[in-house]
Amino acid sequence: MNSDFYRKLVDLYAARELTEELDEMMDAQAYNDPELAAEMHSLRDTVDLLRAQPPVEYTEETHQRILMKLYARGAQPEMTAPEPAHLQYHLPIQS
Amino acid sequence: MPNDDMQDSLAEKRWLASLARGDSTALGGLYEMYGERIFRYTYRMLGNRTDAEDATAETFLRVLKRSAELRADGAFRTWLFRIARNLCIDKLRQHKLLELPMDAVTGASEERTTLRITVQQALADLPMEYRDPLVLCDLEDMPAREAAEMLKISVPALKSRLYRGRRALRDKLGGTIGISR
Repeated sequence: MNSDFYRKLVDLYAARELTEELDEMMDAQAYNDPELAAEMHSLRDTVDLLRAQPPVEYTEETHQRILMKLYARGAQPEMTAPEPAHLQYHLPIQS
Repeated sequence: MPNDDMQDSLAEKRWLASLARGDSTALGGLYEMYGERIFRYTYRMLGNRTDAEDATAETFLRVLKRSAELRADGAFRTWLFRIARNLCIDKLRQHKLLELPMDAVTGASEERTTLRITVQQALADLPMEYRDPLVLCDLEDMPAREAAEMLKISVPALKSRLYRGRRALRDKLGGTIGISR
């Protein structure tokens, strides 16, 4: 397989969407192709960095403030639960 | 899980039918189903909590306003995210939020906070056509088909924007946070 074949797979490599076999073939090809290696690894680092970003915190205060905004504009949303399930219980170490 | 999806779909139909009959309290059920996801999405797009809370509330007010027209045919979630997206674009235009500092993360280490702000700022600097797919697919883990529907583009077009967006983001971040190149 020529180098064009591997270059077409860089995006899938970066997103970890290749099979294990193809992933290993890419790594092997990159060993002798520094340009391909740089592209593969820098893109994979970027995707990994994005996916490792901490989740946005949806706090009880945020939940209540959004509800207040809805009430203030005349909406009357009725909650089936007093508050979202993940906000009902707190571990002892949480303040 | 498929069972959860089916239950969610049934609940969504029930809430939408109640809203269409004029029962405005049903908005609460829809808010419980989608409020957190909409907030997370708007926060990623806008970069600060206050504006994300405003945009989330406004999204659900639009649901109420359009309650007579909404169909429970599976397209509701896509429509909801599209409304939230349009509101985010309006806010970005109105307040030029890109020039404002992003929220700091309380409780996180200084290094992680700096990294998060750096990534947020780099994302905010990208054109909307790249930022959208990255936020939806890489940050919020939305399936490609759903993200494509929301953005009214084909799946191959979404993938293409995703790939170009990742390259653009890499070029903005490279060198500042040690991305190998």
